[in-house]
Amino acid sequence: MNRKRRLLLLAGLLAAALLAVAAFTLRTPAGPSASAAEATPMAAAARTSFPGLVPAAGEPDLPALHTAKPPKGRTAQVAGPFDDRLVLEDLAFDGSAATGAVRVTSDVSDVLELQVLAGFYDHDGALLGTARFVHHLGSDSHNHAGPPEERETFSIAVPAKYLGKAVSAAVGVPVLVNE
Amino acid sequence: MGRTLSVLTSTAALAAVLTAVAVSGPAAPASAEDNNNGRTKNVIYLLGDGMGRTHVTAGRERFYGANGKLVMETLPAQGYVSTYAVEKKSGQPGQADFRPNLVTDSASSATAWASGVKTYNAALGVDAKGTVVPTMMELAKQAGYRTGNVSTAEITDATPAGQMSHALARGCQGPVYSAAACQDTTVTGAALPTGDVRVTPIADQIARNGTADVIFGGGLSRFDSTDETALKEQGYAVLGSVSSQIPATRTDLNSATGEKVFGLFNKGNLTIEKTKQDNPAAPQAQEPSLPEMTKKAIELLDNKKKDSSGNGFYLQIEGALIDKRSHANDAAQTLEEIKAFDDSVAAALDFAKKDGNTLVIVTADHECAGFNIIEKGSFTNAEAAAPPANVDAGNTANNSATSRPGGNVKDTARSTGIINGAGAGDPRNFAPATFRTPDDSAEVKDGSKEASLWLTYLSGNHTGADVPIYAYGSGSEQLQGSVDNTDLFDIVGNSLRVLR
Repeated sequence: MNRKRRLLLLAGLLAAALLAVAAFTLRTPAGPSASAAEATPMAAAARTSFPGLVPAAGEPDLPALHTAKPPKGRTAQVAGPFDDRLVLEDLAFDGSAATGAVRVTSDVSDVLELQVLAGFYDHDGALLGTARFVHHLGSDSHNHAGPPEERETFSIAVPAKYLGKAVSAAVGVPVLVNE
Repeated sequence: MGRTLSVLTSTAALAAVLTAVAVSGPAAPASAEDNNNGRTKNVIYLLGDGMGRTHVTAGRERFYGANGKLVMETLPAQGYVSTYAVEKKSGQPGQADFRPNLVTDSASSATAWASGVKTYNAALGVDAKGTVVPTMMELAKQAGYRTGNVSTAEITDATPAGQMSHALARGCQGPVYSAAACQDTTVTGAALPTGDVRVTPIADQIARNGTADVIFGGGLSRFDSTDETALKEQGYAVLGSVSSQIPATRTDLNSATGEKVFGLFNKGNLTIEKTKQDNPAAPQAQEPSLPEMTKKAIELLDNKKKDSSGNGFYLQIEGALIDKRSHANDAAQTLEEIKAFDDSVAAALDFAKKDGNTLVIVTADHECAGFNIIEKGSFTNAEAAAPPANVDAGNTANNSATSRPGGNVKDTARSTGIINGAGAGDPRNFAPATFRTPDDSAEVKDGSKEASLWLTYLSGNHTGADVPIYAYGSGSEQLQGSVDNTDLFDIVGNSLRVLR
């Protein structure tokens, strides 16, 4: 093979190689970091773990319940994260249950989730224990077929072991979600 | 020798051209100034929650008159989107265990466009059998795009959360876990460990997953001091104070800079536009509007001036209060929210036209409340004394309905007049709400029988009507006609080239 033929062959090989590179590049998906994206399965994009986040240990608490001193025979309101979205109405305590109603003032749509947490107190104002009212839209007892309701009544019974000891109650709302 | 040189020169030229193509082709991010070889660089996805076709028409007639157009209506590609959901544990369309639910909620619909699967109402980022599915915003982030999520709702609400979380139940918003709000044993069989993402409060997820670089909205009450710490550790500039529950303000928004910004402007949903207009001195009037948040998000995400790599962005914008005020059957507020949303569309479109490589999509997740325009002076069936009349049932061309010889008259005992304007204080007034338009003479007032736009609602809940879609930019032609909401995942994903 003379020099001229070798040069032509070399040039042809170079062109073929560049053609291959170009063709490969042109058919490659072209996001900003396409190669990185291709190397990672789509499912891996989902963020499913959060190092450092401590999983919940149970149902929500309201710190204010632990310092409340509700008057005897009454149900008082304690602070919760959603107090600017609701009004507690008709709060009462009859020795067996804390009763009342939550009226949502921030939305006119279905209440998806609502929890009213009650603390019960003895004669000395010590917190005996808690119980809660839970509303979950779609559960058997809370499936509103009609228009959205803004008012949810609740009755939270004194746990059996505190009956006769509880003389007052305090309630707050740790969970509220509207549609 | 001359021929050899010619061959070598030609070969070198070809090689140079091919090398240039290979280097500057679609695989490489292009600057905004070039034509980007047809590749979509940015996608701005705007969603009017609960915005049906009639919402658009009513907004047009209210603000621009019968012969006008909302900005969204000027976009070149237009079509409709089907929005149905499925029941819990359903298969996908075409599978044997497919069980549709014809009226979606915002969570199921968000999962459809964000993850490309049908799921049950209340589900976010999981399919109907509870399996986690990646979202478009997660895929875009993984591929190197910058990302943003803006809403007038709580940022943990269904539409924004559909891009930034995976939850069995949309009610699991935070700040705390509760089993009733977060678990769904109908789907999972048994309660999941509280460390499972699917029962992790959405606020906790958003504060830690870094899915969106720019987050603007409401819902400060959903976040606590540990969330603020997590955000700052990832490099977010946090506007206002999460730990002190001090909402950010318009001033905070205007001065915000940086790659990652987190700003929540209300403890709950943002304040409705009409309230801000009616109470300009109220603290809530300091909240930014949706157009303001849209412009700022685009400014922060569009880094072509400061980042030579020129990576694009994926931004979702939600006008959430269209839905929430439609649930309330408040047409005056609904109309103002439609206008604010359309002004946001204008901001996005303005950017897209200047940029040249941005796809703008405007649509809705579902219709809300059966919003309708009735003829001036007429009334709805719900106001009638009895069901609609059909006195012609003996006619074989018209005999499919029970014959009702009468009853289609207005029941004046329970429908006494117009419900807005001067009639707003009378609880006996049932419908409609009437509004003047630019076509009415100057003396015509809202709430009068002389106003030309008569609006009514069917209910206080969602309906199953298809919703409109409008699009501009590269790839928008795919949205001309009818699509399903799950198709939007493929269209956006292919535009950004993040699907495989």
